[in-house]
Amino acid sequence: MSPPPKGRPVFLETKRFSLRSLKPSDASERWMNWLKDPEVMGPLNAPIRKWTAHELMAHIASADNNERYLVGIFDLTSKIQIGFFMIDVDLFHRRMNFNVVIGEKSWWGKGVVNEVRAALLDEFFEQRGVEKASGMPFARNFPAVFNYKAQGWRHEGTLRSHAVSVANGPRLDQFQFGLTKDEWRSLRPGPAP
Amino acid sequence: MAQLASRAGAVNMQAKQLLAEAVHCEAAAIPDDARIGRFERWDSLAHLRLVLAIERQIGRQLDPDEAVTIEQLSDVAALLSPAAP
Repeated sequence: MSPPPKGRPVFLETKRFSLRSLKPSDASERWMNWLKDPEVMGPLNAPIRKWTAHELMAHIASADNNERYLVGIFDLTSKIQIGFFMIDVDLFHRRMNFNVVIGEKSWWGKGVVNEVRAALLDEFFEQRGVEKASGMPFARNFPAVFNYKAQGWRHEGTLRSHAVSVANGPRLDQFQFGLTKDEWRSLRPGPAP
Repeated sequence: MAQLASRAGAVNMQAKQLLAEAVHCEAAAIPDDARIGRFERWDSLAHLRLVLAIERQIGRQLDPDEAVTIEQLSDVAALLSPAAP
């Protein structure tokens, strides 16, 4: 059986970062270290994973640039990958859901997520037919909640006890944040692309 | 009446102090209308420090629907107020 057709990869640039759809050859020791770092993965309620390079490559290969995108965030100066977005697109409902990991802690608190997400919102709303974006941070992932609010997303709901804690703690609350294409057009800094 | 106003003033000062510590500056440098997205020093890590400081101050964990309301200095003061739930 032939593999499913791949969509159009993402290539974007912001003031400080380049963004591009990742390829299996982007699997790196750096990325594997993020996956086993509780400080990085804990706020996402993601299990600690000691993946091999082969496992990470297989994960990257599962993104088809159509319904699932893995987009790397690269520092323009050092060219080093500092994190990635995972974006799931519901083609029928023209919706997308964002997840982001900034693995390089030296970049935490420096406005990476909203700078990069602004470019992705432009791209998906204006070039890829998406009409609604959503994000579901865990309620105690305060930096992620901050980012959604600072970017003007609406808090659409609180999902109480919505997820099992991978750290064997009590069940976790999650927020639903949303942003429509029209809202983004009125919020975005500068003219529409 | 004067006592109420003075209590509100003290809570506002306390809110400003917590935000100042979270953003690593003097309370005097915090604008009265400081809010997320407009006050540059209030970044995502400062927000984390601020929420944890509020929780320490009031002696309990914030309910998710309380935490998600924090957008400006007055929201911090409201959570610190003795009348808050």
